[in-house]
Amino acid sequence: MKVVPSRSSEWVEPVTTQKPASAIIEIDRVSQIFQTSARKDHLALSDISLTIEEGAFVSILGPSGCGKSTLLYIVGGFVSPTSGAAKMKGQAITGPGPDRGPVFQEFALFPWKTVLGNVMYGPRQQGVRATEAETQSRALIEMVGLKGYESFYPKELSGGMKQRVALARTLAYHPEVLLMDEPFGALDAHTRTRLQNDLLNIWERDRKTVLFVTHSVDEAVFLSDKVVMMSKSPGRIREVIDIDLPRPRRRNELLLDPRYQKYVVDIERMFDESDEGGSAS
Amino acid sequence: MISPATMVKRAAPVLACIGLLAIWQIASLALKHDSFPTALEAIRAIPDILGDKESLINILASLRRMAIGFGIAVLVSIPLGLLMGRSRAVAAFFNPLLMVIYPVPKAALMPIIMLWLGVGDITKTLVIFLGVSLPVIYHSFEGAKAVEEKMLWSSAAMGLSSAQRLVRIVLPAALPEILTGCRTGLVLALITMITSEMIARQSGAGNILFNALDMGQYDTVYAMIIIVGAMGICLDAVFERVRARLVRWSEPQFDIPLSFS
Repeated sequence: MKVVPSRSSEWVEPVTTQKPASAIIEIDRVSQIFQTSARKDHLALSDISLTIEEGAFVSILGPSGCGKSTLLYIVGGFVSPTSGAAKMKGQAITGPGPDRGPVFQEFALFPWKTVLGNVMYGPRQQGVRATEAETQSRALIEMVGLKGYESFYPKELSGGMKQRVALARTLAYHPEVLLMDEPFGALDAHTRTRLQNDLLNIWERDRKTVLFVTHSVDEAVFLSDKVVMMSKSPGRIREVIDIDLPRPRRRNELLLDPRYQKYVVDIERMFDESDEGGSAS
Repeated sequence: MISPATMVKRAAPVLACIGLLAIWQIASLALKHDSFPTALEAIRAIPDILGDKESLINILASLRRMAIGFGIAVLVSIPLGLLMGRSRAVAAFFNPLLMVIYPVPKAALMPIIMLWLGVGDITKTLVIFLGVSLPVIYHSFEGAKAVEEKMLWSSAAMGLSSAQRLVRIVLPAALPEILTGCRTGLVLALITMITSEMIARQSGAGNILFNALDMGQYDTVYAMIIIVGAMGICLDAVFERVRARLVRWSEPQFDIPLSFS
């Protein structure tokens, strides 16, 4: 039960030696430098260490430009860190793999495939037989509330529906960790609320490990077991907060719960106090 | 029942052709010049050409060269363009090369090619190949470059290797752009086909046209222009049908989101 931030070098022993039995992802002193121009380097992530335990819903919360998405891409294996390393179940992450399934803000569906074709793509690639993949995919499409839309193309769907398809497509190949990169960021407030509720319902069924990047405090508190607060320039972990709220969570109950309100107010205040002035909501 | 709007839409190209022929007819009657036959005279000469076995053999020879040149060009250009779009090294190597070749009229290379390969089919097919290649490479390149990175990441997470991504993600994602290039290529194939036959006369539609010009048979010249124009329209119409089928998923009329979150 430990998400360990290491903000400075006083954490002498890296997390590997003391790792909790259930650690699934370990981020060990990761830094990321981007070359913005020929002479200027931008330190996007500075010395990030974080351990994520199996089955936890962990949000990475921070202002835009704090490197939170970059951190997610490093875990996904899409980006290699400039220094440090990320590990999945003790194995160094060297590239993308079906054990870590991404869901992007941009949906990134295959536009030439139907809803069913998109969801079946992963299982088919993994060698699942066509009939079996189709049965599983149809069930997933129903689970995300899109029964009847199997033969539609992404162009024919609204943003919320596209993100439901993207979630089903990733769940279809059974990744051990879901990597969600501001998945509801491009949606209107009403749609976002509905998808948050549905995501929580789906997640509370099988409790996959989720790493969820967001800039919304409400969203992070509502969904997560742990909130990792980041500050920007350079991107560092500021605070890790356990969200001790009962599950299953219902939005209408939670919004009235003083504990929920306190988490939101406290986190917002911490962001306001930070000298960068990065508002995080 | 066909709605009036569809009727107008269908009749429009026919009306445009009739209008053009009418203007031609009037201009020709007004100018009364030997080398400018009326539209009716030109149209009357068409059955003579198409009824003549020798002419048909010529036209078919042209179409065969065009099909071969176009086919090989597409098969080579699409993979090259896609590779250029996804690999900076490949692009850095081929881009300057293509930039040098692009503005050169391909027909201007014919005399040089003829020196090496003669005046036969190979030379003409090669010129058509060159004419078609560049727009197809260029559009494949642009299409591949524009493929959303997150789409490639998503497929990489599913376990697709980089070669599989090129064939199964980049190719279909870039297909609308690739087909735009192929359409331009098809028109260029027709143009280079005729010009190549103008330079190396031996057989072909261009051969009939320019021989008639030499002999002062102006109705045949204009009839051939109509035939080549009609070939262009037909080829484009067929291609457009195929294209619309292949990229139905990207057509703008699909862009009506349903009201559902």
